[in-house]
Amino acid sequence: MESAHNINVDMSVRIGALELRNPVMTGSGTFAAGREYAEFMDLGRLGAVVTKGVSLNPWAGNASPRIAETASGMLNSIGLQNPGVESFCANDLAWLAEQDVPVIVNVSGHSLAEYVAVTERLDAEDAIDALELNISCPNVDEGGMAFGTSCAAAADVTRAVRAATGKTLIVKLSPNVTDIAEIARSVEAEGADAVSLINTLLGMAIDTDTWRPKLARTVGGLSGPAIKPVAVRMVWQVASAVSVPVVGMGGIMNAEDAVEFMLAGATAVAVGTGNFVDPATTMHVVDGLERYCRERGIDRVSALTGALKR
Amino acid sequence: MSCASTHEDGHRLLERVTVVANDRVTEGVGLIVLESPRVARAVRPGQFVHLRISTGTDFILRRPFSIHRAEEDRLHILYQVLGTGTRALAEKRRGEEMDVIGPLGHGWEIPEGTAHALLVAGGLGAAPMGMLAEQLSACGVAVTVAQGAPTAERLVGQGVFEATARRVLTATDDGSAGEHGFVTGLVEGALATDRPDVVYVCGPEAMARIVTAQAAAADVPCQVSLERLMACGIGACLSCVVTTTDGQRRACVDGPVFDAAHVVWDVSEIPPKH
Ligand SMILES: Cc1cc2nc3c(=O)[nH]c(=O)nc-3n(C[C@H](O)[C@H](O)[C@H](O)COP(=O)(O)OP(=O)(O)OC[C@H]3O[C@@H](n4cnc5c(N)ncnc54)[C@H](O)[C@@H]3O)c2cc1C
Ligand SMILES: Cc1cc2nc3c(=O)[nH]c(=O)nc-3n(C[C@H](O)[C@H](O)[C@H](O)COP(=O)(O)O)c2cc1C
Ligand code: FES
Repeated sequence: MESAHNINVDMSVRIGALELRNPVMTGSGTFAAGREYAEFMDLGRLGAVVTKGVSLNPWAGNASPRIAETASGMLNSIGLQNPGVESFCANDLAWLAEQDVPVIVNVSGHSLAEYVAVTERLDAEDAIDALELNISCPNVDEGGMAFGTSCAAAADVTRAVRAATGKTLIVKLSPNVTDIAEIARSVEAEGADAVSLINTLLGMAIDTDTWRPKLARTVGGLSGPAIKPVAVRMVWQVASAVSVPVVGMGGIMNAEDAVEFMLAGATAVAVGTGNFVDPATTMHVVDGLERYCRERGIDRVSALTGALKR
Repeated sequence: MSCASTHEDGHRLLERVTVVANDRVTEGVGLIVLESPRVARAVRPGQFVHLRISTGTDFILRRPFSIHRAEEDRLHILYQVLGTGTRALAEKRRGEEMDVIGPLGHGWEIPEGTAHALLVAGGLGAAPMGMLAEQLSACGVAVTVAQGAPTAERLVGQGVFEATARRVLTATDDGSAGEHGFVTGLVEGALATDRPDVVYVCGPEAMARIVTAQAAAADVPCQVSLERLMACGIGACLSCVVTTTDGQRRACVDGPVFDAAHVVWDVSEIPPKH
């Protein structure tokens, strides 16, 4: 047999103007700006770091408890706590700029004007390679998911933000909709270079001793292995509906999970909750993906994208 | 040994550990001993580890536990069996492996010139205080422990307290040991007779809050160890915030030990009762 085990696997993928050394990124909000994880892994071996959501002004986030564990996953209602864009640029970004890894900044806003203002501010930063527009956070009262659950609103905010930046623009979609492919088509039509999905699924858990919700905010976003089948299905639907690249996420814990997303149509993947379980999960996914390809004689990882057999 | 400690928190490690022993201490409480050479040598009093109990997908998050004692290569953890994770922990047998992230968080500080310390522990609040009592006594600080629990059997960590403290005062809800009543009833007396230079407190938040007020009234600095639900344990997810006079702080990095005078107490932040 051909010595498949010796082939060199080309792990690079392309998202808009962005060339990534491999398809493995971090899920926004689960990795801060990477600093905490640098003690446990090599940031330079990631496809990209995707930062926590950044807004124009500081946001305090929601009351505690902010998380509740559920079967094979967790609910969170952090509420996009962040120090605001100026502090982000002065601290987190300044640190990230020194690391050898592409930087994707997740953008949040309460209103269209805020989304545009943050984008304009971030557009001025050379250290940023791409923006991920978060129109899918279920944990804030105004803005967030409200922009991601109607085609018209999603199109409006994408158009406005597109006009404010020349950087690669990824729009992060909410799974809390009837037809996610329709939303994906709307943002593609307004100039999104890629879409990422899924953000968390709106959920709820109740303490049967106290009869109270387990989260102070009552409802929150479900993530982790529990949501993976829903996420894979949505990636498959969206990849079939648009021609821009798809970044797939939702419950990825290992390389096989990542392969599933790629076969369904994802060009790249992100690990979110998996970082909490093992801070080196992303490294295991990178190594495992390469091994997976090598063992099967696949010479470039991008060959997996959309290769689903039917 | 250097005694005053207002330390920088050291490097965090991911370490594969082996269970050396896991024994029942009393009803619903266990003591697990882990062979964990790197973490055991680095940990300081009041710090914790984030323990991966399950590698399956039934429940996936780690569980935070204070280090009760560290001896050479070993970590001692006192744990209360509450739910899925701690039930699984109680099933671990000698020789089984797990992994831990640690040492984590900012632990107890020993202010310059401390000659006498009062440790106030409610229930499992004794867990993070074993190492502290040992370090204080090794430094020649006189230690008084005020400990409370529902019943005599539920007073845990007494071995280390008796070995290190000059006085151990106890209170039980049912009067089966020591004073009949809450540990907070012991604190005013201890503050008056012992005139400690510092108070350390860990236990249910309602009790910690009362002790904080008692220490403040006696003009004695007070440090409190707080619990929050934690996902990452390393400062990235913002699950574990504590409201302080300096703004929101992460219990897993800036705590779990805080200057009690800086904590903005909010009953809604107390984790659901178990
Ligand atoms: C820094 C820190 C140090 C800790 N040290 C110790 C220790 O030394 N010994 C010990 O027994 N426990 C300690 N705890 C609490 C311990 O982490 C929880 O009891 C444990 O995670 C419960 O897991 P479970 O799966 O058994 O319970 P679950 O089934 O997850 O929950 C059972 C109940 O416990 C509550 N709970 C879960 N996690 C926590 C938590 N982190 N804090 C408070 N309540 C919680 C839940 O709200 C629920 O009501 C510590 C917590 C923190 C944050
Ligand atoms: C604690 C937490 C915080 C999150 N914060 C953000 C955020 O700030 N912006 C965002 O777009 N998504 C956020 N997410 C969603 C994740 O990036 C990801 O889309 C989702 O969790 C699904 O992936 P997973 O199952 O691998 O976690 C957050 C998720 C978690 C668990
Ligand atoms: S547990 Fe994640 S920040 Fe503290």
